[in-house]
Amino acid sequence: MAPLKYLEQEYPILDSNFQNFCATHGIFSGPFPPSNFSRIYSPILTPSFTFLGVRFAPILLLFWRCSLFDCSELKDTRRKHMKFRALHKKTEDQEDLLLHDLHVLVAFAEQQSTSERLKQGITQVLSIIDGQHQPWLNGMELLEDAQLNKHVLSTGCEGIDLLLEGGLRMGQLTELVGASSSGKTQVCLLATSNVAKKHMGGVVYLDTGNSFSPQRVIDFIRQNSDPAIDQAKHRILQKVMNRILCHSVFDIFTMFDVLHQLEVNLRSQMQKGDCQVRLLIVDSISSLVTPILGGGGSQGHALMASAGFLLKKLAHEHNLVVLVTNHTVGGEGGISKPALGESWKSIPHVRLRLSHDQGSSIYNVSVFKHPSMVSGKAARFTIYD
Amino acid sequence: MEEVVASPREWIDRNESAKTMLARVLTARPLLLLPPLHRVPLRVGNVVELVGTSPSAKTHILIQAAVSCVLPKEWNGVHYGGLDRLVMFIDLDCRFDILRLSKMLKHRINGESNGSLKKIDQEHMDFDLWNNDTKKSPTYDEELYSLCMRRFLFIRCYDSFQFLATLKTLNYRIRKEQELHGISVHILMIDSIGAFHWIDRASTFMPLGATNRKTPSLQTVSETVVQEIRKLLLLHPMLVIATKATIFGDRYSMETKRNLGKLDTSNSRSMSSTSLQLPYREYMPSVWQTFVTHRVLVGASDDPFIRTNDGDCSLYFSEWLLPPQSFVDKFIVKEAGVFMVP
Repeated sequence: MAPLKYLEQEYPILDSNFQNFCATHGIFSGPFPPSNFSRIYSPILTPSFTFLGVRFAPILLLFWRCSLFDCSELKDTRRKHMKFRALHKKTEDQEDLLLHDLHVLVAFAEQQSTSERLKQGITQVLSIIDGQHQPWLNGMELLEDAQLNKHVLSTGCEGIDLLLEGGLRMGQLTELVGASSSGKTQVCLLATSNVAKKHMGGVVYLDTGNSFSPQRVIDFIRQNSDPAIDQAKHRILQKVMNRILCHSVFDIFTMFDVLHQLEVNLRSQMQKGDCQVRLLIVDSISSLVTPILGGGGSQGHALMASAGFLLKKLAHEHNLVVLVTNHTVGGEGGISKPALGESWKSIPHVRLRLSHDQGSSIYNVSVFKHPSMVSGKAARFTIYD
Repeated sequence: MEEVVASPREWIDRNESAKTMLARVLTARPLLLLPPLHRVPLRVGNVVELVGTSPSAKTHILIQAAVSCVLPKEWNGVHYGGLDRLVMFIDLDCRFDILRLSKMLKHRINGESNGSLKKIDQEHMDFDLWNNDTKKSPTYDEELYSLCMRRFLFIRCYDSFQFLATLKTLNYRIRKEQELHGISVHILMIDSIGAFHWIDRASTFMPLGATNRKTPSLQTVSETVVQEIRKLLLLHPMLVIATKATIFGDRYSMETKRNLGKLDTSNSRSMSSTSLQLPYREYMPSVWQTFVTHRVLVGASDDPFIRTNDGDCSLYFSEWLLPPQSFVDKFIVKEAGVFMVP
C-alpha cells in the first residue's frame, strides 16, 4: 500500500502528487506486506492473546496508544482485522508526519512548480496534526472547568475529609498506600457507599482480590441513614446498591479492557445523561502491576505508565474521582515501602499513607503528596465495625 | 529594518543614555529572579531542566515562575515586578492543578510576597527608582487577576504523539496568541519531559514491518522534540523550563537519599564531593541532555518538617548542577509560594 494512501481517502488534497513529494523527502510509510503483517499480528488476533504475556505487550501497547481503537473488537473477525489494519495504517501515516520535519517540506514546496497545491497539502497536513492534540486553554477557562466540573466528593470518613478539606477531587487520581489491614479497602468501601448514597453518583469498583464486600457497603449505608420505615428503607437501599458496579479483575489486561469499555460507555452516557459515574476504584492497582514488573524489560513499566495515563484521562475528561490502592512490601532494612515505587510516584495527584495500630480501632492517615497541600499533614479516624 | 536605521553611520552615532539602555536591555531580556532559579541569570533561549524525585516542589517552582511572568510590572500605580508576558504550559504529567496557580496569583496580587523574594526584588527595584513613583499598597484587583489568568496558556498531552502534534503546531498557536494579547511568550514550560519515557521505550522494540520507515521510538521522539523546540526558539525567543522526575528507583533512590541527606546536613560540599557523579541516573536520550543548558537538582530533605508561624512546612533543597555551583539552597513551600530559608 502506498504511503499516505489512507489519509488520501479522507483528504483528497493529499493526492498522489503530494505523496510522491513526501516520499522524495523521506516521509514514507513503507509497504507493509500482508504475509508479514498477519505473522506478527495473528497471535494477538486470537481470543487467547491476553495469555501471551509480556512478550507481546509492545504490540498491545500500540493498540492502547491508538485511541481510535477498541481492544475488545479485536477478538472476532477478519473484517475487523481489516478495519484494524486500515486504522493502523492511518495512525502510522499520522505518526510519520509527526516524526518528520515539515519545515523542510515547506522550504522545498517553495521551489516546486506546482507549489500552490503542495502548500495546500501541507496546510491540510498541519490542520490534521492540529486536531490530534487537546485544545489549548487559558487560565480562566481552566479555572471555569475546575469550578464547574471538578467538585470535591466526601468519602464519608471524617478524618480524611477534614484532612483533604472536603474530600477527593474529581479529575484527580488519589492513591492510598498502606500495609495490609491498614484500612485501605475499608476506606474504599466507605467512599463507595457514601458516593452512591449521598452524592447519588455511580461507582465502578475494580476488585482484584475478591475483597469487595456488598454486606459491608450495606452496613455503611445503613449506618448513617435516618431510621425510617423498613419498606422505604429497603427501596432506597436497592436504589443505592444499583449504582454500584463491581468488576473482578485479575490481570492488567482485563483492567485495560474494562477501562476502555468504561470510556466508551461514559462517552455515550454523556449524551444520554442518566446516573453519572462519579467514582472509579481500583483496589488494588499494585497487585495488577507488580506481576508484570521486573525481569529487566521496560514493557511492564510501559504498561504501568499507560494505566496511569488512562486513569488520569478518564478522571479529567469525565470528571471522575479515581481512587487506587497500593500495598506495601518489605524494603531495605526492614522498612516497608510502597509496592509501586519510584516510577509510579509521579503518576497520582494525591498520595495518602494509611496505617493502623494493632488492637485499636484508630487509623492514621497522612499526606504523602498533594498538589496544593503541605505533605506531612496527618489525621486520625475510626471505622465503625 | 532599513527604514528604522538609514545608514550605519546613523546607527553608530545614535546616543543612548544608560537609563534608556538599561530599560531596553531589561525589557528585551528580562531576568527571572525567582528562588531557587535566581542563582544564575537565565535568558531567553536557555533550556532549564529541573530534576528531582516526586514530590520535590518542581511543579510549584514552575507555577511560581509562571505567576511572575504573567503579572505586569506595574498596575494602577502598584509595583508587582512581573514580566508582563505570556506563559505556555505543556502538561505531560496530567497533574496540573489550576486552583494552585489561582491561589498563588491571588497571594501575589494581595502583596504577600515572600521575605527572600523581597530582598532580591530590592536589587531589582533599584532599577525602578528612576520612576520615583509613590508606592501604593497593593489590593486585590479582579481585573488584574483575570488578565493574568488569561495570559497563562495550558495544554495537556496524554501521549508522545499528542506532544509532538502540540509542538508542530505551536508556532501558529503562539503567533495567534501574541496577536490576541499584544505581548509575546516568555516561558515555555514542560512538566515533565520524561513522562512518556517508559511507553516510548517499550515501543522501540516494536516489530519493524518496513525498514525504510522512521519508526516511533524513544530516540526518534526525543530527536523530533528537540528539533521542534530548537526551530521554535529561532522564531520565538523564549526561555524553556522543563521538569524531569527521577524514575529509576530501588537502590539508586536509596543511595540518592543518603547522599542528599549528607549534602543537606553538612551544608558544605566537603563531605559529599568525593562522590561527585550525578545523584540520580540519567535516562533521557543524549540528544535532550545536550539540548539542556542549565540544570537544577531539587529534592525533599530528610528532615522534612520545619515549624513556621503558620504551621508545619516541608523543607526542600536545590542545587545547580549545570553550571555547577558550590552551594545548596533551602526552601519551603507555603500557601503563597516558594520561600527561601537560611
